[in-house]
Amino acid sequence: MISVLRRMDKILIICLLSLFILSLFVLYAAVHEGDIAVFQKQVIFWCIGLLGFLCVCFVPLRLMGLLAWPAYLLALLGLALVPLIGDVHMGARRWLDLGIVAFQPSEMMKWALMLMLAHWFASREPNTWVNFLVPLMMSIVPAALIVIQPDLGTTLVLLFAAVAMLIASGFAWRWILYAIAVSPGVLYVLWHNMHSYQKQRVLTFLDPQSDPLGSGYHVIQSSIAIGSGGFWGKGYLEGTQGRLHFLPEQHTDFIFAILAEEGGLIAVTLLLVLYGVLISRILTIAGHAHSRFGALLSTGIASIFMLYAFVNIGMVSGILPVVGVPLPFVSYGGSALLTMLGALAIVMRVAIESKGNIPWQRPSSPLS
Amino acid sequence: MFSQLDIRQRFEGRMWFFQLSIFVLLLILLLRMINLQLLQHEGLMLQAENNRLNVVPILPTRGTITDRFGTGLAVNHISYRLTMIPERIEDMDALMTQLTSMMQWTPNQVKRIKKRIKRSRKDRPVLLNDKLTWQQIAPLSARLHRFPGLNVQAGTHRFYPYKELTSHLIGYLSLARNKDLEQGYLRSEYIGRSGLERSFEKRLHGTLGSQQEEVDAHGRRIAVLQQQPSSMGQDIRLSLNVRLQEVAAKVMGKRTGAVVILDVHNGEVLTLLSTPGIDTNQFTLGLEQKQWQTWLNDSQRPLLNRTTQAAYPPASTWKLVSSFAGLRHHSPLAMRSTQCKGFIQLADRKMRCWKRRGHQKVNMHDAIMHSCDVYFYELGDQLGMQNLSSEARLWGFGEATGVPLPPESRGHLASNMQHLHNGRERHWSRGVNMITAIGQGQTTVTPLQMARFAAAIANGGDILRPHLEAGKEPEIIRHVNINPEYLKRVQESMYAVANKPGGTAYYRLRHAAWKIAGKTGTAQVISMSQNDDHKLNRAPEVDKHKDHAWFMGYAPYKNPKIAFAIIVEHGGHGGSAAGPIAKAIVKELAAEESKP
Repeated sequence: MISVLRRMDKILIICLLSLFILSLFVLYAAVHEGDIAVFQKQVIFWCIGLLGFLCVCFVPLRLMGLLAWPAYLLALLGLALVPLIGDVHMGARRWLDLGIVAFQPSEMMKWALMLMLAHWFASREPNTWVNFLVPLMMSIVPAALIVIQPDLGTTLVLLFAAVAMLIASGFAWRWILYAIAVSPGVLYVLWHNMHSYQKQRVLTFLDPQSDPLGSGYHVIQSSIAIGSGGFWGKGYLEGTQGRLHFLPEQHTDFIFAILAEEGGLIAVTLLLVLYGVLISRILTIAGHAHSRFGALLSTGIASIFMLYAFVNIGMVSGILPVVGVPLPFVSYGGSALLTMLGALAIVMRVAIESKGNIPWQRPSSPLS
Repeated sequence: MFSQLDIRQRFEGRMWFFQLSIFVLLLILLLRMINLQLLQHEGLMLQAENNRLNVVPILPTRGTITDRFGTGLAVNHISYRLTMIPERIEDMDALMTQLTSMMQWTPNQVKRIKKRIKRSRKDRPVLLNDKLTWQQIAPLSARLHRFPGLNVQAGTHRFYPYKELTSHLIGYLSLARNKDLEQGYLRSEYIGRSGLERSFEKRLHGTLGSQQEEVDAHGRRIAVLQQQPSSMGQDIRLSLNVRLQEVAAKVMGKRTGAVVILDVHNGEVLTLLSTPGIDTNQFTLGLEQKQWQTWLNDSQRPLLNRTTQAAYPPASTWKLVSSFAGLRHHSPLAMRSTQCKGFIQLADRKMRCWKRRGHQKVNMHDAIMHSCDVYFYELGDQLGMQNLSSEARLWGFGEATGVPLPPESRGHLASNMQHLHNGRERHWSRGVNMITAIGQGQTTVTPLQMARFAAAIANGGDILRPHLEAGKEPEIIRHVNINPEYLKRVQESMYAVANKPGGTAYYRLRHAAWKIAGKTGTAQVISMSQNDDHKLNRAPEVDKHKDHAWFMGYAPYKNPKIAFAIIVEHGGHGGSAAGPIAKAIVKELAAEESKP
């Protein structure tokens, strides 16, 4: 056990703990004049998450590989059931009520697909039609199921992550161009399956001033919050946009605006550097991984983190449409935090296994 | 196909691609942040401040108006406003029904309120009802916690304790209109629309204050950041003696008319009464269109300020002007007497005296005292229109008095020459000159002009600008050059009117508290035939055909203090209808004077 802890990647640990501290500070700023219970809940989620993180560090990667097919099929089943028995929430049918907990199959599918694709490519050669089309279908079928829910954000994340896996698995660039060439068709189908509120969101993105009190209001107010922060920020707990409720969803999707308003460009740069170091480090770990499965999985996870961070900050600052994607490790939300910590733990396990043998475990097979 | 090494190398290559992508994506975000936080910082900072700050005007308290003894004529009463934030109301229809019965709104009011709610922002307070008394708001106020979204605020509204008595003088207020907004008024401000409220608007209004408030996204006030208090308007103490005005109004009763009392030395207005008046409080309490229409269509014309806006034929009071003209121009008749047979023959017309039997031998003194028409027919015939009109102009007729109560009528004086339709001029006919001399021609005067004339007679010829502010420097518009001896003769005649047996007001005024010098007048409303004997003294059946009664003069006769002009519309004879008012006034003044 000590040896596992000793083999943990220090940079990853530092990044994680920095994000932990930063996220609690920002979340407190977002809710300190409102529902303080939100903050307390998130502290508890972090405690559970970090504990879970440690546990996952002890799970051998081999076992993860075995989980790939069952996890993927279960998620697919869940997605198939959603249109039939799912709960309607805010005009979209996304949730499955399992009696004890409400469960979002689309959320699970993101990670299951990563696992599945990593497992698929780990033992197969790139640049063959079969090895190209099967994973493509594996991605497009759940993406189609998610887009009719409708959940635009998750669909896009899913498809971009799939493309990232294609790139990572070593397909030649022209194959990747094939995959991307399909996208206009996909976009067409997407647009026609979108709810009017989603179309409105995209249109508002193109011209946020057109509807200053409706959908555009969010982006205008968050841009004002970010811009008014300036270089040094307004000071901790001194932001007016958040405190006076001009910012919508300021503790979830728009929490970045609070950070930017109160911490200014300094805090923003700190967060971006933190993300950069974290994701770059994950890729380095992938590069040094002893197993191809671990390497591909880490790359997929890195790409999902990057997509989340980019899309979230992009939408809050008004360069991307508002699609409802959380800011990794900072936004309030238990399930998103737990899954991300779980994913990071898997990367940590890859790092641990790449640092030589662990006594009570079979040596990892070299790159197959 | 691929060797392990190939795959390994290619994977490492792809890792570099990913590293580069991360760098590029993060750089894009950083550039966007630099754009927002450094380049657009100023503008967005301003927007954040505008978001956060709400500048709320603080309305100034209007200055009060009091009479010379400090009695309030226009004061500020505490009142309450009911506002609502529509987005916080769950069931609007149920609430409106409930409020309608609680506040006793009329269906019209409800309609107006609903319209206002519809037009207003849902997240900002909407004014439902203004100027509520405590009695009206108390039932709701006690249960306010049961009505989220409703709010009751205290403020002030204008109140006129004397209502009809001072309505024309004080005037009224109404909310600012579009034209006023250009002058910097706010839509929620009240502005003087008539009377002194209008004339003294600048002084009474006070200056606006403001309060910088921090508000949240719902417009709720979080904190007050800065306050620039409003400054109250100036209080104005009038020269008016409201008790005197009350006494005059009491004697006037339900009759229509006007009473003006001036201080003979400095032009201070002591009484400015026009009846009937209107309850100006209804303007500030929310005037119903119906009420306004009633006032507008009332045959008694309550909106008219009869003291300055109505011009009446001066009737026999004009004989004083004719006397001065005669004396000034040394008319032959002015120094001797004539024979009044009850009429004077002018070609085929008989110009009648009011006394059918005639006054027999009359000189100027007797003619004024008895108000003999025949004497003045002859005097007017000798003087001609030019002398009559220019004398009237000297005494301030035909021009605005300059009292700060616009709009003011100037009255009318006949021009020196008659203007014909073909553009030529000719002398007025003798008949016109004659009836003008007894005040029945084209001439019209306002009661205020008449009172000023009386004051000038009393003070030796100073035409004063009547004013309403206590202690204001008197302003003499001009001094009428008149031989003091002549002036004395007219004054003595006016004394005789009220104090010598046979004087036209002797019967009513002989026991007055002060010795009064005056002149009666009885202005014909419909012309009665000069020839038809049997109709001459018949009392008209209809009130509105009755003559207007004038009485003007000053008191006390020796050492005059006040000058007055009284007109009672359709009052009948001047001495009997208007005289008692003068008597009551001097009684009140004498009583005030005898008090320590």
